[in-house]
Amino acid sequence: MAETFPINVWINEERYAKLQAAGLADLCQEMLAGLKVLRVPTTAEQRDELLKRYPMAKFDSATTKSIELLPKAVKDQIFDLIVEKKKVDVIAEFLKK
Amino acid sequence: MSEIGHGGKPIVERILDPGKAKERIKGLKEIPVREQIAVEVIDIAYGFFSPLEGFMKKADVESVCKKMRLTDGTVWSIPIVFDLSDKEISDYGIKTGDEVLLTYQGAPIAVFEIEDIYDYNKQEMAKDVYGTTEEKHPGVKRTYQYKDKFLGGKITMVSKPIINEPFTPFFLTPLEMRKKIKEKGWIRTVAHQTRNVPHTGHEWLMKGSWLSAYGELPVEKMVVGVVVNAIIGEKRPGDYIDEAIVLCHDVLRKAGYFREDVHLTSISLWDMRYAGPREAVFHAALRANLGITHHMFGRDHAGVGTYYDPYDAHRIFDKFSEKDLNIKPVRVLEWWYCPVCAEVTYMGLCAHKDKIQNFSGTLIRSIIQDGVKPPRLIFRPEVFDLILECAEKYGQGDAFVTQKYLENRNPVFTFPKL
Repeated sequence: MAETFPINVWINEERYAKLQAAGLADLCQEMLAGLKVLRVPTTAEQRDELLKRYPMAKFDSATTKSIELLPKAVKDQIFDLIVEKKKVDVIAEFLKK
Repeated sequence: MSEIGHGGKPIVERILDPGKAKERIKGLKEIPVREQIAVEVIDIAYGFFSPLEGFMKKADVESVCKKMRLTDGTVWSIPIVFDLSDKEISDYGIKTGDEVLLTYQGAPIAVFEIEDIYDYNKQEMAKDVYGTTEEKHPGVKRTYQYKDKFLGGKITMVSKPIINEPFTPFFLTPLEMRKKIKEKGWIRTVAHQTRNVPHTGHEWLMKGSWLSAYGELPVEKMVVGVVVNAIIGEKRPGDYIDEAIVLCHDVLRKAGYFREDVHLTSISLWDMRYAGPREAVFHAALRANLGITHHMFGRDHAGVGTYYDPYDAHRIFDKFSEKDLNIKPVRVLEWWYCPVCAEVTYMGLCAHKDKIQNFSGTLIRSIIQDGVKPPRLIFRPEVFDLILECAEKYGQGDAFVTQKYLENRNPVFTFPKL
């Protein structure tokens, strides 16, 4: 299976309430001593496309191998798409939008 | 008695008395310089870059690029150069042997004795220093942006810069730092290079290195200190604001995560080049001049992207003898969070490799940007609260660098008019 590179959507109270309301709280993983996170997978191509579209974002190649620092508005859109589609694998749809 | 700095040379401050300065600069041609050059003038004049007495001449640049040494044999890894365009050289009518006055934001800062005017193949310089010619690399990009010619020669500062709040108490020149270390009674010190707000990975990196440096010394009274030396220089949008970096490091001690008698926060002015292993060597020289005895080097020290192997900065020190560098590298692996150990732990100790969770400054920034408060095991609450405070007080509402911050921030330093 090809390697994927996650986008970490960190779950604050507001996001968690939305996930619970949609019955999706179990999509969350727990990381770093109690933080809730949605790990949204991207392929290498999707990663590169996201970094091109959002130059402020950064692929942390040294430590976490994840895409970080996407603007909050973008993460909110990804989060809303997860709630709508009821799955975390939504980047293909997100990029089409 | 003189203080001995990097390369076994005495540290000499190249600064004129105010009375003599006025006389010395009379009638000199004025050349305005950008912030990077003003910073390097400060670094040279106070001895942060000892044994450099000025901007490098061609022979030194060549020797540094090819051999990582100055022409006198002293280890040096990054060219320190002064650039001007052909047009500027012609407009100012500058030639070898001239003395000119460098100014910054309208204030005189240094006399520059021009001993050499030369050109240099920038691609070759990039390849030698950064190991790549790709313009994507920020150090390479900076190299390509240099103007047509380099000018080499001694500089003498004509007035001391004013270091503005909140940085004032953290700026210690090499001679001041050495005095401070003596006052604290530290026999050994270990430098922590940073350009980040600290998370607990950094904290444990410092604590582990402190233990490592402590070695066989007596423990009735603490005789080893961690010297946090934050690099303050060019900022990129999205970086933490400088004020947050420095104050958050200091709050680790104020909040008791480090005792008062083992920790000191300080700053050095320098635009990071991201030269990985070569920058590690540069950092060693800089901190040796500050009188620091040990320097921690973690994973991917001063690297960027995937240009360097994560531990190149460890290996490069194998090339040098103790005579070459009067500072000892403390080589450190990663600190990570392990849910099995239920703590931040060390790669050299924890065997749950398939369970571990890495975290980085970038990841923490991402957590904060998502409006989440990281747990205290990962990020100290005092640091988190202070970030928010710094955002309000210094960052126009943002803890990260924005265009607005760059335009409106209080400058780190200013030079007085003579």
